[in-house]
Amino acid sequence: MIRVNHRIAEKEVSAVISSVSAAADRCEDMTSEEAVTHLTSLVSRLQGLKRKLEEGSKVEALQAQRCRARLEHLESANADNLNEWNDTRLKRILVDYMLRMSYYDSAVKLAESSNIQDLVDLDAFLEAKKIIDSLHNKEVASALAWCAENRSRLKKAKSKFEFQLRLQEFIELVRAGSTLPAIEYSRKYLAPWGATHMKELQRVMATLAFRSTTECEIYKVLFEAKQWDYLVEQFKQEFCRLFGMTLEPLLNIYLQAGLSALKTPFCYEEDCPKEDPLSQEGFRKLAAQLPFSKQHHSKLVCYITKELMDSENPPLVLPNGYVYSAKALEEMAKKNDGRVTCPRTGDVCNYTELVKAFIS
Amino acid sequence: MDLNTIKDAFDRVAKKQKLSSTTTQDVVDKVIQEIESVVRKMQSIDDDADSTDQKVLFSELRSKLNEIAPMQQLEASQKELHIGLSKYSKLLEKYFNPDISKAYRHVDFDISTLNQIIATHFYRQGLFDLGDCLVNDAADPSAAEAVAALKSSFLDMYRILNAMKTGNLEAALSWAATNSERLLQNESTLELKLHQLQFVEILRNGSKNEALTYARKYLAPFASVHEDEIQKLMGCLLWAGRLDQSPYANDESISQTSTYRNKITEELTQQFCSLLGQSNESPLTVAITAGVQGLPTLLKLATVMAATKKQEWQTMKQLPVPVDLGREFQFHSIFVCPVLREQGSEENPPMLMPCGHVISKQSIVKLSKSSSRPFKCPYCPLEANVSQCRQIHF
Ligand SMILES: [Zn+2]
Repeated sequence: MIRVNHRIAEKEVSAVISSVSAAADRCEDMTSEEAVTHLTSLVSRLQGLKRKLEEGSKVEALQAQRCRARLEHLESANADNLNEWNDTRLKRILVDYMLRMSYYDSAVKLAESSNIQDLVDLDAFLEAKKIIDSLHNKEVASALAWCAENRSRLKKAKSKFEFQLRLQEFIELVRAGSTLPAIEYSRKYLAPWGATHMKELQRVMATLAFRSTTECEIYKVLFEAKQWDYLVEQFKQEFCRLFGMTLEPLLNIYLQAGLSALKTPFCYEEDCPKEDPLSQEGFRKLAAQLPFSKQHHSKLVCYITKELMDSENPPLVLPNGYVYSAKALEEMAKKNDGRVTCPRTGDVCNYTELVKAFIS
Repeated sequence: MDLNTIKDAFDRVAKKQKLSSTTTQDVVDKVIQEIESVVRKMQSIDDDADSTDQKVLFSELRSKLNEIAPMQQLEASQKELHIGLSKYSKLLEKYFNPDISKAYRHVDFDISTLNQIIATHFYRQGLFDLGDCLVNDAADPSAAEAVAALKSSFLDMYRILNAMKTGNLEAALSWAATNSERLLQNESTLELKLHQLQFVEILRNGSKNEALTYARKYLAPFASVHEDEIQKLMGCLLWAGRLDQSPYANDESISQTSTYRNKITEELTQQFCSLLGQSNESPLTVAITAGVQGLPTLLKLATVMAATKKQEWQTMKQLPVPVDLGREFQFHSIFVCPVLREQGSEENPPMLMPCGHVISKQSIVKLSKSSSRPFKCPYCPLEANVSQCRQIHF
């Protein structure tokens, strides 16, 4: 953005200057009226530039504000507001998911209601939406314009998206039976890619011979409507890469990591506590294909109090083999004249019958 | 590297950017001024005047413009900006670059399931518009159907909570009465607390008789179990209309500060979720927070595995290393046999030895040479027979 603005400014200013010197060179041939008109036109040209620059610097300021807001947001993470920060992070992740899924209304609503517009990329995605929509309508113009706008960065990333767009445009010409324009088009727009993508180029050129009604499998697919869906996918990928975003929604990445870290064989048992996300059908379904977590050391949680059992609160074994924390059983015994009841089997025993278990 | 370095770099870029755009605009302004002044001069010259005047003016303009040297100025400011900018982006890359998608396994989450989870997440926060909007955007009627029941339950909950906020306890009381049994099973005294709130509210307004009627009808049933509480409440009758002067003025259940009211609101939310079979925290929040904690470990692992065992990352049944999460994510007892260093299972359960130490069944089989003879505990000097060891359940 900054660079584009600057280039426009440079071009305009130098054009005006050379125009002035040109005029100076041939001013003898001009009437003063002509000279005035000429200069006035230069002035209005410069004023146009000025407007553009002002607009541009407004956009720049907005972008800078966004960067700053994000940095400040990162910086604001500390122990005191951890909950709030985590909440904002989840919202950011959800907005990101919605944008990638093209749930724009939800994304805008969530971002606005939680006042995090500066922390998410609404504009960029709305811009992308236009391009995606036009690709769905089988139009490449806006996608090509986007390629032109980002040419140097796409080139650096060795992107062939523009080539793919051109190929599709060529295919559409062949489909329409416009052989000559198709050849013309390929000379102008496809040939430059020949050096790097000769194979694909040749395959597409061959369609000139086969036409859109071909039954030959490798050419037939080129004419299928799903090629446009493929372009949409391709565009989404290029877009994410250009913005330094992951290809997958953040939600999927974090959710996958979290579910994998939480997943134990016990999550799938009937008495899985409801605080465990994996006690719910939906989360179980999502985690089905993920690996289980691993532990190197025992981690024991009291079935009754959900507290950790360790040397402070040691595990006690009932005669029936079930284990609960000392805290829980002591309390139970106090309330019931020294008797404890196993909540899982209903067995009753005396507190004195319990034995301590040592787990290293 | 810390965030301040980045912030400094960013500030520099931002400053240069501002500077550069002011410079550009200044240059353009100056050029405009010069040209305009020449235009004015020309207009003041008579038409039939010598064209040399015009020539002079033009060459003056040219040299003036050269003096402003707009191109050089533009270039210089831009160059500085670019240096700053590229430094900044390099810093950013260094700091943020760990591509978190490396730890991603290519499995497709079922989108409908995911949307149901998100919609429910919004509903339970009372963000019904958002939940509906998402279901709408997803154009997924089956998801909408799947979350409909929970949505209406949460609508009920927020109806009760919102009424409570305006001081109207009726909905809350009627809900608590309907679920009286189940609340008691949860060892919650919410119903009593709500009646208490209502009773004190009546007293505060000074109506002693009304309060007494209320107490007879609603508080009496609790008297046997909550004797102390009820006595205190009845004692309050003496201070009807001037509770703040009563000996209970500092008792939070009587003075009913907003903190106390919030506490009760929170307890109602918890109990409502619990009776719905829902967790207290949003499970989506829990899973994502766990993900944020676990991701760094997974990333390291993925980086190591990318070099040697890329295929395994996609197929492994269990992570090869532990991912440490906070205590709040520990929902299950995991027993790891200290001898075998393996997680216990149905086939290889934890066994308690007579000395009190716990190892896995397989370890005992090994130590006792297939249960054939007594063995020494690996952790203390005591000996044990296989018959003395018994399976335990955490
Ligand atoms: Zn021992």
